[in-house]
Amino acid sequence: MATLLLDIVTTSSMLFIIAAGLMIILGVMKLINFAHGAFLTVGGYSAHVVTNAGFNAWLTIPAAAVVGFLLGIVVERVILRPLYDRPLDAILATWGLGIVIAQIITFIFGRGVQFAESPISGTTDLLSVGYSSWRLVLVVVALALGAALTALLYYTRFGLNARAVIMNENLARGLGIDSVRVRAVTFGLGAALACAAGALITPLLSIDPNMGLPWLVNSFMLVLVSGVAIPGLALASLLLGGAQVLVSTFVSPIIGGITIVVLAAVILRIRPGGLSRG
Amino acid sequence: MSALLNGSSHSVLEVAGLTSGYDAAPVVRDVSFSIDPGEILVILGKNGMGKSTLLKTIMGFVRASSGTVALDGADITNGPPHLIARRAVAYTPQEYAIFQDLTVAENLRLGVESDDLLEDRMGDVEAAFPRIVERLRQRAGTLSGGEQKMLLLSRGLIARPKIMLIDEISEGLQPTMVAKMAEVLKATKQKNGVAVLLVEQNLPFALSVADRYAILKIGEIVARGDAAHADTAATLEEHLRI
Repeated sequence: MATLLLDIVTTSSMLFIIAAGLMIILGVMKLINFAHGAFLTVGGYSAHVVTNAGFNAWLTIPAAAVVGFLLGIVVERVILRPLYDRPLDAILATWGLGIVIAQIITFIFGRGVQFAESPISGTTDLLSVGYSSWRLVLVVVALALGAALTALLYYTRFGLNARAVIMNENLARGLGIDSVRVRAVTFGLGAALACAAGALITPLLSIDPNMGLPWLVNSFMLVLVSGVAIPGLALASLLLGGAQVLVSTFVSPIIGGITIVVLAAVILRIRPGGLSRG
Repeated sequence: MSALLNGSSHSVLEVAGLTSGYDAAPVVRDVSFSIDPGEILVILGKNGMGKSTLLKTIMGFVRASSGTVALDGADITNGPPHLIARRAVAYTPQEYAIFQDLTVAENLRLGVESDDLLEDRMGDVEAAFPRIVERLRQRAGTLSGGEQKMLLLSRGLIARPKIMLIDEISEGLQPTMVAKMAEVLKATKQKNGVAVLLVEQNLPFALSVADRYAILKIGEIVARGDAAHADTAATLEEHLRI
């Protein structure tokens, strides 16, 4: 029972961490970033490179975030910015980009499975069970991330500008806000979050060129259900992540793998606006 | 009249031969005027005559196909709106002009370049609209229509602009509120030498604040003159009726 509870909380935390980058890009840019899974993969390989080079495993996370931010800034400038007037093409472009990134990774690292060292290994005794320490770290990270994103959005000038751009881009521009820069920084931030998330989950999973793909699908469904809101995303992660763990435990892990997608479709059928909006 | 005769050397805003519109159809045609510091020019015209498009063209939201817009002598024609705004231009659009889901305070913060400036300048808002200062934490969308217009004008004032471009601020306001708006605009112009380009349909309001007027009809300026002139009201009435 304790294990089940911890599974639910840690799985939800993972989902939250992974979907956060997708959500902020959707919120500010009205863009579903289908390269999100590929960014996650890049984060995983960044972690692999860092620990393979003999650096401290804790460095994998900031290193992946930096790689992701730079990658995001370049992708926004080169691929997305020319397509802002054609939102559907921009979404397709991110899809294509995801494929290209996976191929480049395959070309450099091969198809095989890689590993990265874990900053913490072993188990911690909690609720009278020994539980994976790293999964518990992820809960702390998810809480910190939720707090940090809330602080960024609600207590900084960048956050205010970003919210203004979300609500009414032309009005924001007329008040001197450089919406192009807000978009660029947001995409960089979203990509940084995706890559950092990739590095954060590598201690639990093996790294391969398509490791991000199933996470892309789940994040996408989560964000559709949650809408653009941090508490909404937390709630959606708990609900859908919890359902996934329950189905995997009591029914079958295979069906558990599709729980999020199926349940999200059902929720959206009942509440087309998702959890956050009416 | 002096601005028209003396040329551009002192004018804050100078618009020359401006033509703009959507797709092939020009909405604003060959419009020229200039505004001096501390001067209020009102552009009058009925709906669909191109008043809002004129302001949007000055702000860079609508592309000018010919003509120029100069601010303090610098050419800003077809510049990006955010850079034009940062040159101390406060634009208050007619529709969707405030962020309904943000608080009053957040709306005001967006009027200044950095948050530090907000506290320094809160006195400006307090002097003009004390009611706005009382409602800083309230969501802007929950304000009454009149209060939203006060917030809109406050956001313009707090920018300490060189020029304000104001699109039909009097629309839908009760007479006492319209009088309050006129009072604030006149006080601002006198105190800070702010120039104002006002786009209006409300003739009494326009004449109570403006130094000069121009009539925009199907995108062209068909008449202009001194707002204080004795025959002005009758002439304008005539134009606006047709």
